[in-house]
Amino acid sequence: MFLFNYRYRLKCIFRDRELMFWTILFPILLATLFNLALSNILSSENFQKVTVAVVQNEELNQNPAFTKALGGADNLFIVNYTTPEEANSLLMDQEIDGYIYFDSDLNLVVNRSGLNQTIIKGFMDDFVQSSSTIGTIITQNPSALDTGILTGISSRTEYLKAVSASQSNPNPVVNFFYVLIAMTCLYGGFLGVKEVVAIQADLSAVGARVNLAPTNKLTVFLSSILAATTVQLFELLVLLIFIIGVLGISFGDQLGYIALTCLVGSLTGVTFGACIAAIIKKSEGLKTGILIGSTMTMCFLAGMMSSDIKYIVSTKAPILAYLNPANLITDSFYALYYYNTHTRFFTDILLLCGFTLLFSSVTYFVLRRQKYASL
Amino acid sequence: MQVYKTFFKVIQKNRALFMIYLVIFMLLALLLSSTSAPPQDTDFTKVKINIAFINNDEDSLLVNGLKTYLGENATLVDIPDDTQKLQDALFFRQVEYILRVPQGFTEGMLNGNDVQLEKTIVPDSTSNIYMDLLINKYLNTVKTYTTYLPGLSQNDLAKHLKNDLAKNSKVTMISTETHSLFAQKSGYYFNYLAYSLFAILILGVCSVMLVFNDTDLKRRNLCSPIRSANMNFQMILGNLSFAILTWLVLISASFVMYGSFMLTTTGLLLLLNSFVFTLAALSISYLVANLVKSRGAMNAIANVFALGTSFISGVFVPQELLGKNVLTIASFTPTYWYVKANNEITAAVHFNSENLTSIFTSIALLLAFAVAIIAVTLVLIKQKRMDA
Repeated sequence: MFLFNYRYRLKCIFRDRELMFWTILFPILLATLFNLALSNILSSENFQKVTVAVVQNEELNQNPAFTKALGGADNLFIVNYTTPEEANSLLMDQEIDGYIYFDSDLNLVVNRSGLNQTIIKGFMDDFVQSSSTIGTIITQNPSALDTGILTGISSRTEYLKAVSASQSNPNPVVNFFYVLIAMTCLYGGFLGVKEVVAIQADLSAVGARVNLAPTNKLTVFLSSILAATTVQLFELLVLLIFIIGVLGISFGDQLGYIALTCLVGSLTGVTFGACIAAIIKKSEGLKTGILIGSTMTMCFLAGMMSSDIKYIVSTKAPILAYLNPANLITDSFYALYYYNTHTRFFTDILLLCGFTLLFSSVTYFVLRRQKYASL
Repeated sequence: MQVYKTFFKVIQKNRALFMIYLVIFMLLALLLSSTSAPPQDTDFTKVKINIAFINNDEDSLLVNGLKTYLGENATLVDIPDDTQKLQDALFFRQVEYILRVPQGFTEGMLNGNDVQLEKTIVPDSTSNIYMDLLINKYLNTVKTYTTYLPGLSQNDLAKHLKNDLAKNSKVTMISTETHSLFAQKSGYYFNYLAYSLFAILILGVCSVMLVFNDTDLKRRNLCSPIRSANMNFQMILGNLSFAILTWLVLISASFVMYGSFMLTTTGLLLLLNSFVFTLAALSISYLVANLVKSRGAMNAIANVFALGTSFISGVFVPQELLGKNVLTIASFTPTYWYVKANNEITAAVHFNSENLTSIFTSIALLLAFAVAIIAVTLVLIKQKRMDA
């Protein structure tokens, strides 16, 4: 009976085209769209050399040190020596970030306040401040001039050493894909709803027929849920292969743990749907409505629309982060990708197991021993 | 006008379907209006990067001086010294640069030893370059002083540093002509409108057409004593009024939020553009409505169409950030031209023949989409009727 029912439930699910669309094609479509929309976001924070024009005039020629310093900063700037009019029109056409000219002082002309403009100003301040430093030193120790203070000041010491936070890049884009997988896991709830409807005598004709059969209801239900979980795992596998293989999103390299997360996530999703279907006694439309609504709310809190939300929730209201299955699944992937330790990962997985247990026991106690006076 | 009335009866029955998209849109609109307006650029202001500063060394004058200096040029964010918390903050860009002063740094620095600070960064980022510039500048100045004025006390050193670092170069801001505060915001508003409008129109038109295209019902209607031209006319009128009604509801919030701005040239062009887009979306909805066979398929298609076209056309993510290939594909959808026109309208400070030509080309293309797709649909309907 167990295998018989299992086989037929698999067929039922796979032939439900609408269900298959929402649980697998829709996530794949969203993943593709995310990838299209987000692939260039990260490169927008990458450093591109700042374009700057310098006005050529008499005062500039009297300050060779500045030209030399600017020439030495070729890793920062693309410099263009030009006339005042030309510089002005370049700035107006947004061809350059700003231009520099000397009168008695050093001047910068820009037309907006941005990071590139700030970098130019930082460089110019540096020059002015270094001159002041040299001035101060020479008044107190004139011999410094002979011991090479001028060359000393242009040869900079590097005082910074990069220490990476983890083995992976801090790339906020991956979080969108992790939430997407969490959403797919919870959309497994559709399968849970379907299985509960198919076994309750008051919800479907199939359910009425199944209840007549001289078989333990728990056995039948377990095999139905197992069928649903099988489908769900298969769908997750397809989605993962698509996201990793086709879209090239990194999940770290701990495949075993990733598989564990998928398994636990699927179980949570399917039992979540079953639980909703068991508790809510109204129509199937309302059940799926509540399922979609709650899944979307949880995914929103896990950072599906903006990854800042996940950070805000986990710092300002950590309880909410721990009580949100979507966030727990997302967080498991995040911890695997980004952290060097596994403490957080196992906390997430344990909590997810707890949720699965909670959902299945609620479902069990609602479904068992129901008797109907009439149908 | 029985047909026309029935049209709206069906719409009434399905209103829960549209409400979701209406609520989503209103929430987005509300979110937009609550975000603080960017300051108008009249004076130059330095961009301050969020950084975390962690000191494992003693509280020396040197380290405190560095901290104060960085505090003036960047925003110091207070994050507890916990590996995971720091990692989280960097990942979600709450800070873009974490600076750690190792133990014994002050002593090593003052004795002229080789010491280094530890930074944790977003690789290849502009913020990294800028912070490096600032920190190296400070420490190199310290080094210059300790090399050439040996025996300088920490107090004097701090005083000199403060004096030097107060020196500034002058910045002049030539402002391009001021732009209405609302221009950018209303641009976002009208871009988001594309998503909700598309979804609502597909769902609305489909749910009505599914009823009317039901084979039995269609046969009954065909033998009714109403001329089919009359019936078609009422259907067209129903579709148009539904589309215009949806458009009116969706644009209504813009008048509340932006007020008289909507009556300026920019505002009126935005309204015109969105109206023409409504027509294009309506004809696509009509095409879809004649192709789908079930309510399940209708929901799926509405989502795929509305979300898909919005994503690739730059409704949610600015068009500049999308790849070239994506935009080429997107240019086969009306949403692309709608968003393009919106962006041009809101970016223009003055309207001249150049930008107006570009804007009206996009709007004309939208109209062409509407006409072309409705033509295809009519052929399709004719074909179907012959089959039946």
